[in-house]
Amino acid sequence: MSEYLFEMKGIVKRFGGVAALDGIDLAIQPGECIGLCGENGAGKSTLMKVLSAVYPYGTWDGEILWQGQPLRAASIRDTEAAGLIIIHQELMLVPELTVTENIFLGNEITLPGGRMDYPAMNRRAEELLAELKLFDVNVVLPVSHYGGGHQQLIEIAKALNKKAKLLILDEPSSSLTTSEIEVLLDIIRGLKAKGVACVYISHKLDEVAAICDTIVVIRDGKHIATTPMAQLDVRNIITQMVGRELTQLYPKQEHALGENVFEARHITCYDPERPLRKRVDDVSFSLRRGEILGIAGLVGAGRTELVSALFGSWQGRMEGEVWLHGKKIDTSTPLKAIRAGLAMVPEDRKQHGIVRDLDVGQNITLSVLDQFAHGSSVLRIDGAGELRAVREEITRIGLRAASPFLPITSLSGGNQQKAVLAKMLLTAPQVLILDEPTRGVDVGAKYEIYKLMFELAGRGVAIIMVSSELAEVIGIADRVLVMGEGRLRGDFINHELTQEMLLAAAIDQATT
Amino acid sequence: MNLSLIKQKFAQYKIVALLIAIALIWVFFSWRTGGGFVSPRNLSNLMRQMAVTGILACAMSFVIIAGEIDLSVGSLLGLLGGAAAVLDVTHHLPLPLTLFIVLLSGLLLGMFNGVLVAYAGIPSFIVGLGGMLAYRGIVLGVTGGSTIAPVSNEMVNLGQGYLPDVLGVGLGVLLMAVACLLTWRSRTNLARHGLPRPAGWQDGLRLGIIGLVLFAFIRTVNDYEGIPFPVLLLLVLLGIFSYVANQTVFGRRVYAVGSNLEATRLSGINVRAVKLWIFGLMGLMCALAGVINTARLAAGSPSAGTTAELDVIAACFIGGTSMRGGSGTVHGALIGALVMASLDNGMSMLDVDAYWQMIVKGCILTLAVWVDVATRASRR
Repeated sequence: MSEYLFEMKGIVKRFGGVAALDGIDLAIQPGECIGLCGENGAGKSTLMKVLSAVYPYGTWDGEILWQGQPLRAASIRDTEAAGLIIIHQELMLVPELTVTENIFLGNEITLPGGRMDYPAMNRRAEELLAELKLFDVNVVLPVSHYGGGHQQLIEIAKALNKKAKLLILDEPSSSLTTSEIEVLLDIIRGLKAKGVACVYISHKLDEVAAICDTIVVIRDGKHIATTPMAQLDVRNIITQMVGRELTQLYPKQEHALGENVFEARHITCYDPERPLRKRVDDVSFSLRRGEILGIAGLVGAGRTELVSALFGSWQGRMEGEVWLHGKKIDTSTPLKAIRAGLAMVPEDRKQHGIVRDLDVGQNITLSVLDQFAHGSSVLRIDGAGELRAVREEITRIGLRAASPFLPITSLSGGNQQKAVLAKMLLTAPQVLILDEPTRGVDVGAKYEIYKLMFELAGRGVAIIMVSSELAEVIGIADRVLVMGEGRLRGDFINHELTQEMLLAAAIDQATT
Repeated sequence: MNLSLIKQKFAQYKIVALLIAIALIWVFFSWRTGGGFVSPRNLSNLMRQMAVTGILACAMSFVIIAGEIDLSVGSLLGLLGGAAAVLDVTHHLPLPLTLFIVLLSGLLLGMFNGVLVAYAGIPSFIVGLGGMLAYRGIVLGVTGGSTIAPVSNEMVNLGQGYLPDVLGVGLGVLLMAVACLLTWRSRTNLARHGLPRPAGWQDGLRLGIIGLVLFAFIRTVNDYEGIPFPVLLLLVLLGIFSYVANQTVFGRRVYAVGSNLEATRLSGINVRAVKLWIFGLMGLMCALAGVINTARLAAGSPSAGTTAELDVIAACFIGGTSMRGGSGTVHGALIGALVMASLDNGMSMLDVDAYWQMIVKGCILTLAVWVDVATRASRR
């Protein structure tokens, strides 16, 4: 038997004439944790699809060995049967089913006659969750009852139930809070001790550095380096990923702050499903011209709810007033908010950002399209004028697309994000709301988005940035609001501010 | 590898594939009917039969692209066609006034459906189903279940009239000139933006084929009586709807709403208004189709348009409109309508039993959508 649990040799995957993967090698020993790093578009997801037989054997070149034997999986069923489990970035849980039913989905314990053996399944589900130190989950409640962090752990329980020998985690921490990430990393350490191998894919390099034994970096579909973590630090990994030195993660630029321009007064949002429950509770704040205001807090603190209420996209009931330049403005719908001078880049790029069937250029001009048709919706669009505006915006924002006529879905996450941002910038906003602007975005694109934010602030745009990455908030914002349980928990000028201080503000009163 | 290439090409040239399918259907029917199927008289007839489905399909493609569906169009057609007959036969209103009243009612009824869908939040399937029953009920109630005839000659002309030969030839020449102009414009546009242009011979070949089809079309219809008026109307509508879909802000919003409603709303677009107007257009087309149908039959029949919605929706799907919304074309939907009309006409000529006709049409619809889905899968 080979010393490796799993080996990939010289994997090449082509789409048409383009090689998305060009000779990737990967080898994993039992109990080893590999960090797979690369910018968005580097080929990580393609590699995982080859690995898990989403692209079946024969649609790619190269060789995969599982415990020394060639693995020729025709579908994801074969790889799961072997013990190779993927946990996808987007959670694959059925919200309406109970925790137990989700954990056993496709794998049910049945009594004679096909009846579900609920007692046995519930018992096993509780055992699995206890292993994950998750004691506050009632396994007979629907999954939708629990937040993103718990759901992620339930997903892991589901993988463990399938007797995973190799666990692949694709951006597992993107919806987790700092404390939940610690739990997750502990769980992975526990699994490693039991001999389960892991591939950990994440943009959060400090997590990768904390948990992984070996770092594999790929770039543009090519294998760049396989290095033991002991010989690396976060900075080296970044250098390998981008192929150039990034001198600074946060390109902070001084910019002048002007007078107060924007004010939110006593914003309260109610849950659309449970109308008595307050998701945001009486939050007021103001914003100065050219100011970058970070909003930090744990997941579920009400940050996204707050900014969607400001932008008129909150689905439930909302109370409060929004003032711009000393005048009360109506932001009851996104259309009215945009007309008043607000713009928002939403958190969920796929669901709320891009329009899949439109091309890159059409996505960018969506908000201001009638400008190219004399403000009318039935006159002809000036195609040449539209294209000129799109080209200008693409250049200004540094969006990397071979042509504005490409499908938006062919771009990497970072470039899709830039397209959504470009769409909003064309509306010439005075207040720009960015909800997790760098989630799922690679290091290089992050840097460019930050630079753009500073450029906008320098021109007098007031920016509200919701972010779960405390380092990012501290690196970018002039002032930081901390939210917890729907309330404002702190308002800090960003001067000698530390992550610990913000975290303390977010958690501190949550426990009292 | 090879299969995926075929799939890719197929998806790219779907319209060509559909045209080939129509050619095969026509060859088959003309062989079985000893050439009767492709006689000028029958082709002219076939196109007139197709006009009603085609008029509805123009607007239905918008409805489906926007991610909705409208099952009430058959009944609405019956109601509005019946109304036209009543106004004409019973009240002897002048034709322009009748047209105005019917078209306005169509627009308003369509917008009523739109309000229920977009503002009241009732799923369009349910609104359509409800409308299908209710509108048909109104027709039966108003007409008492009996046919309303005879319709005035002016109105009959709308359905049975023909364009004089000379005008037909003029129209053909004009269309050819427009095709040349558009090709030239698109070539200069592409050149100006530094994009690759198709080779000269490709565009030449395309224009050649368009010219040939136009020539054959005008020649055929002129051999009989000229371009039938409903067909002319359909051509005009094809032009208008294609223009709206591709060149206007409203058209772009129709695609955006169907592709990602939430993202479109967050981009500051009044998605409810977009849907309202789409349903308004649908109602307007129901009115046009209703009038044409009444005129063609020279009578208002209480059962007019029964199951028309199914033909129309089938035409859109055969023409490559995506079921989940966001993509599709008007000309595709019309080619789909031509497929359905050809099958109807050919099988009737062959005296195929009605039940067989239904079976064949059902199978063709399922087959066409399967081919569409199978070739689409490679891209997702």
